[in-house]
Amino acid sequence: MTLEDYRSDMEMCCRCSYCKFIPLERVEGFQHVNVCPSISRYNFHAYAGGGRMGVGVAMLEKRLEYTDKLLEVVHNCQMCGACDISCKYAMDMEVLEPINEIRIKCVEDGHTVPALDSVVNSLRKQGTMVPGAKAKREDWAEGLEVKDFTKQMTKVIYHTGCRTCYDKDMWKVARATINLLQKAGGDVGIAGENESCCGGRAYQMGYREDFLRQAKQNMELFTKSGAEILVTGCADCYHAFKVLYDKFGLKGDLEVLHTTEYLDRLIQEGKLKPTRQVAMTVTYHDPCHLGRLGEPYIHWEGEKVPGQIRVFAPPKEFRRGTYGVYEPPRDILKSIPGLKLVEMSRIKEYAWCCGAGGGVKETNPEFAKWTAKERINEAESTGAEAIVTACPGCEQNFNNAVRENGNSLKVYDVVELLEKAISKGGH
Amino acid sequence: MIGDELAKLVGAGNVSQEQTTLDEYSKDMSFVNTIMPECVVKPRNAGDIDKIVNLARETLTPLVPVSSGPPHFHGATVPGIGGAVIVDLSGMKKIIRIDRLNRVAMFEPGVTFDELIPAVEKEGLRLNMPLLPRKSKSVTGSLLEREPVIMPKYHWDIADPLACVEVIFGTGDMFRTGAAAGPGTIEEQWAAGGAQKEAAGPSSASWYRVIQGAQGTMGIVTWASVRCEILPRLEEPFLVGSSQLDKIMELVHWLVRLRLVNECFILNNTNLAAILAKRWPDDYRDIKDTLPTWVLFFNIAGYEYLPEERVSGQIQDVIDIAQRVGVEPVPAIGRVSASDLLTAVRRPSREPYWKLRYKGVCHDIFFLTIYDKLPGLIGAMYDMADEAGYPASDMGVYLQPIVQGVNCHCEFNLFYDPKNPRESDQVRELSISSTKSLIGRGAFFSRPYGESARMIINRDAATAAALKKVKAIVDPSNIMNPGKLCF
Amino acid sequence: MALEKVIYRALEDVLGPENISDDPVILDSYAWRSGLVATPVKFVPRFEAITLPKDTQQVQAIVKLCNQYKIQFKASSTGWGGYCDPNGPGVIKIDLRRMNRIIEINEKNMYAVVEPYVIFAQLQAELMKRGLNCNITGAGSNCSALPIAAHQGIGHLSQSGSYGERNLLAVEWVAPDGEIIRLGSLGSLSEWFCGDGPGPSLRGVIRGNTVPLGGLGVYTKAAAKVYHWPGPSTFPIKGVSPHYHPSEIPPGFMIRYFSFKSADEMTEALRKVGESEIGFILMGFNTAMVAGNKATNNNEDLELLKQFTKEVQGPGFLLIIAGNSPNDFEYKKRALQQIIDETNGKSLAAVEDPQNAGGYIWRFIRVTGSIRETCRATGCFGGEVGGTDVFGLMRAYIARSSKIKQDYIDKGLLHADGTHPFVQSIEHGHQGHGELLVRYFPNNPESAKAGMELFMAANQIAIEGHFGVPAHVWSDAIHDMYGPYACNYTKWLRKIKKTFDPNTTAEASSHITAKE
Repeated sequence: MTLEDYRSDMEMCCRCSYCKFIPLERVEGFQHVNVCPSISRYNFHAYAGGGRMGVGVAMLEKRLEYTDKLLEVVHNCQMCGACDISCKYAMDMEVLEPINEIRIKCVEDGHTVPALDSVVNSLRKQGTMVPGAKAKREDWAEGLEVKDFTKQMTKVIYHTGCRTCYDKDMWKVARATINLLQKAGGDVGIAGENESCCGGRAYQMGYREDFLRQAKQNMELFTKSGAEILVTGCADCYHAFKVLYDKFGLKGDLEVLHTTEYLDRLIQEGKLKPTRQVAMTVTYHDPCHLGRLGEPYIHWEGEKVPGQIRVFAPPKEFRRGTYGVYEPPRDILKSIPGLKLVEMSRIKEYAWCCGAGGGVKETNPEFAKWTAKERINEAESTGAEAIVTACPGCEQNFNNAVRENGNSLKVYDVVELLEKAISKGGH
Repeated sequence: MIGDELAKLVGAGNVSQEQTTLDEYSKDMSFVNTIMPECVVKPRNAGDIDKIVNLARETLTPLVPVSSGPPHFHGATVPGIGGAVIVDLSGMKKIIRIDRLNRVAMFEPGVTFDELIPAVEKEGLRLNMPLLPRKSKSVTGSLLEREPVIMPKYHWDIADPLACVEVIFGTGDMFRTGAAAGPGTIEEQWAAGGAQKEAAGPSSASWYRVIQGAQGTMGIVTWASVRCEILPRLEEPFLVGSSQLDKIMELVHWLVRLRLVNECFILNNTNLAAILAKRWPDDYRDIKDTLPTWVLFFNIAGYEYLPEERVSGQIQDVIDIAQRVGVEPVPAIGRVSASDLLTAVRRPSREPYWKLRYKGVCHDIFFLTIYDKLPGLIGAMYDMADEAGYPASDMGVYLQPIVQGVNCHCEFNLFYDPKNPRESDQVRELSISSTKSLIGRGAFFSRPYGESARMIINRDAATAAALKKVKAIVDPSNIMNPGKLCF
Repeated sequence: MALEKVIYRALEDVLGPENISDDPVILDSYAWRSGLVATPVKFVPRFEAITLPKDTQQVQAIVKLCNQYKIQFKASSTGWGGYCDPNGPGVIKIDLRRMNRIIEINEKNMYAVVEPYVIFAQLQAELMKRGLNCNITGAGSNCSALPIAAHQGIGHLSQSGSYGERNLLAVEWVAPDGEIIRLGSLGSLSEWFCGDGPGPSLRGVIRGNTVPLGGLGVYTKAAAKVYHWPGPSTFPIKGVSPHYHPSEIPPGFMIRYFSFKSADEMTEALRKVGESEIGFILMGFNTAMVAGNKATNNNEDLELLKQFTKEVQGPGFLLIIAGNSPNDFEYKKRALQQIIDETNGKSLAAVEDPQNAGGYIWRFIRVTGSIRETCRATGCFGGEVGGTDVFGLMRAYIARSSKIKQDYIDKGLLHADGTHPFVQSIEHGHQGHGELLVRYFPNNPESAKAGMELFMAANQIAIEGHFGVPAHVWSDAIHDMYGPYACNYTKWLRKIKKTFDPNTTAEASSHITAKE
């Protein structure tokens, strides 16, 4: 697909501003109505989903040149998809796809930003999106007895992800995951040093070819392992494997699950029993790429039916965030004795982004922090002691924000809390 | 001579320069200065008015429109400068149309409430009236003055129930406001199904709002249309008495908010006694002595569909609310029955006009405010009356929730003997000083009259400047009632 | 024409560099055409710069600078309609996005004060917590809650909650010459409860049944009358987008869509509902809108339209009853039943079905379905928009215009969504409003032309048929079609424009200019 292929979508934008707000049926007060961090921070319409539609068409119509400002507007967006979901409450049009295509077009036309070039260079050279990382990819698993699926067949692959591998603060989550999966009797393997980036964030940043290269390489590895299930604790990776790989016809029959989906399944099957008290009031943050963007990809090929109304043959089903992964993480939290879950105002398909995605953490760390701070404030307003989420990117960004602002809010991964609730015996 | 010119236009029988006649228009019951008009002209129709205004424009003759019969109370119909011509519209008495389907009536400016009420009643309609207007009060005059009305439920906007007007501006141009502007003549609009009901417009200005409250300084209205309501099939009126105004206002808030009642207003015992007393002074004293300080009157009504069920359900709801508030609606208090009061307020005041019965004349101080500020303002007024030596027990108070409860008209009625200079001076000074003080406490004098008008308007310099700009549009020669408001 | 550096710097001094831009990327995002009456022309003229003031003082400063440097400005809040756009060069945009506070909600006196970028969803949600509600403009709760922002401000609640012109109380207005005028009690007392006086009301100058669409300055704050809300403090909504529905229908609420064998019977039913004062929301939606409102995609929209068209017996209206008490609710239901029996009304099963009823109720109260009913099908909608005199007049006007619509549908130039009018009742039937909505693919020049031809034909019908000055009348050209037939109202509008905008600083392509 190219940006031109999304022209008819972009041209459907009627300027209603739905993209700036949470779905309006859900508004319960004055606060927490905004859903797009980009326009919330920068205020000019260009930063909203609808504004980006206009910019996209303007690019196709050759009204705009590649300038620093264009790249700044294009990349000051976490690619969180909230605009897409809010728009699709009412409209039959893609929003996030053309926003992504704009980035791809910029890259293909040779217009990139240095901060992202640096990240992608690291990907090309070392298969990681964390340039300059001191640790080795396998270091988090030190001391753990876990299969290397590049050497042995395995049923379940656990993909750790760049953000976890190269951040010591996140290792506890990966280790807890392995611990729980093994307690449940699962046949799980990791790639260790052979693990390579899923490529998802590279795609979001506009580097499609780099993503495809990573995808093909990874799928070769996964296929060789005989794995039926791939589990990952990173929402970006989850989205990459489940949605993007499928979009490009690379996923095959591999079942992709987030750790929360898999662990929830294990709890339902009685293979994990949370019995220990974890007395805490928490609120859950839906990671964008697990929640609203985590629903399966829908393959469609067809054409608009000639006529006035925008319908297609065959009928086109739009991904509207309806089938994202919202309940499994919540079910896990609700299964933990003593844990009280209170919800924020912006949740599920209309959750406020953590701020880290879409390359923003790299190109504009101040904006990433600002976005996280908004979310931290929202979490604190619930009275919760902790914000719990299911993605290392979110956790890192929240931790940074909490540290910088001196908040007392704690940050946890769902897996951490589940591990606390599982007795030493495991069942 | 202007009188001669006018006689050529409208006929000599419709122009008067008789001294006794001029005397009558040179002053009124207010404290404004006596200024003798040049003559009085009585137009017969809109065509006459058009000619009068155009002549006045050419000769720069001030015009003072008057639509009600005497007595007048606020000074707006007394010339502000010498050489003025009184345009007395009280003889224009055509009721042009009553439209039951669209609940609207159209009539000329001389039509009084006394004349219009039976006419609309024949069609099953009623007016949202002010409280007991005098018999000679013009409906158009009342609408243009933006007088408060006694059914807040049907008072959606402060301009209600006025719909459209036809006006001759001070420029001599004829204009029709709202839906009446056109396209088409009024008759053509009727044929198409129009009813001259939408007051706003045409398009992005609502000229009727600029004409209302203008005291005749923008133009002369030749007809008005008024929104009507339907006559109820069943009614149950009630009274609530209390020495505690806050409880009454709490109840009032809910009665209006939940649209439970039609007529709804509060009077103090002085006013209520003054309205109902037939024999003076005994009746007045007897009635007043049986009443608590404050009396709320409200009326519950049912219409075409299941009126009994509607009324009984609403009565129950009202009782529930009243119990929560701690008051009790009853059909009578002392010598006052709710149904007698309802009968009274459905019509203009009996003669003599109720405000004149007590002492001969009454000076009104009225403004808009909100519920929270009422007790403070009322308390302050009582204090100021005391300080001025005006017996507070003689002061009438009338509280009228308007605009469906968004604000409240608060009126103090200062009864006094016009033949007693001490009383007259006392009331005059009290009026000026209390107006200043009440403004400082949150009273909004949205309808400023008389001596205080200029002071009230000029406090808001930006509004005054804007109003002058508007005036310059429709009356650049300043012939329309000069000297009024800030003009 | 780029903005001269000296002007840009002066604006930057007022706003700070983050809050002004003349970069083409920013400008083009505003220049993308609106979905309202769209044509194949994809981009309107660019603004010279976009400004983002944070308060009234900054707005005034911008306006004064425009006067000083002889450039024009156009303010907007959410910026949906094409009337937010300039007609040519030399105009800067005042984007009021940063002015987004609710200033006050006065529960006792039932009014709310907002800045322009508070959207209706926010205001309604806060009001509901306090047992109050507001009329939301029919375009949707994504629009500004200022009762002088939207084109008209008529909405779903207008049956019991009136509309913008009449709900407006005090206003803070930055006039085109830079003067700040605070209307009514605001100017005299700094209170918001009254927009009229002292003396004549300046509310008459700043809007009529339509607003000046950017051509008469900037409204920086306004108070609106609000109404009682008999429902819960938050509506119990469940589900995931786009399939929201309440977990239960709150007590005291009922919704029906009634169709009638003839327009006369419908009108009679509507009159009786109004006179008995039982309607909370009463909207003369046609089946296309009822279908569109529920459908979550265009395919479903077409299926439902087909289904509903078969099931209705003629034109109809949607009615929501809300009881302020159990007594009230019972009375209203019984009175309604009698009225419907007398007028042979038929309830549309899909709306009455408890599975759907709750979702419909909430979408109509929160006004979230308008985009589904208008822009989803083709990306654009147009048509004509009648005035607000009485229901019978509006019905007759729209019925006549509908015949032209059918011709264009038959030619394949407009989306085939029927020709039943969309009419609504205001203030328990005291007044009415009517619209004829058309939807067409805007990139098809023939369709866009058809939309324009229908619009112009509707204007001819309004003039020849004496149907009033419709609300869609804006711009010099269309105003001048009507002026000579409607008391030369254009002369007086122009005088207001010239008086309050002596330097022609407020861009008035969607309003009226002061030309002689």
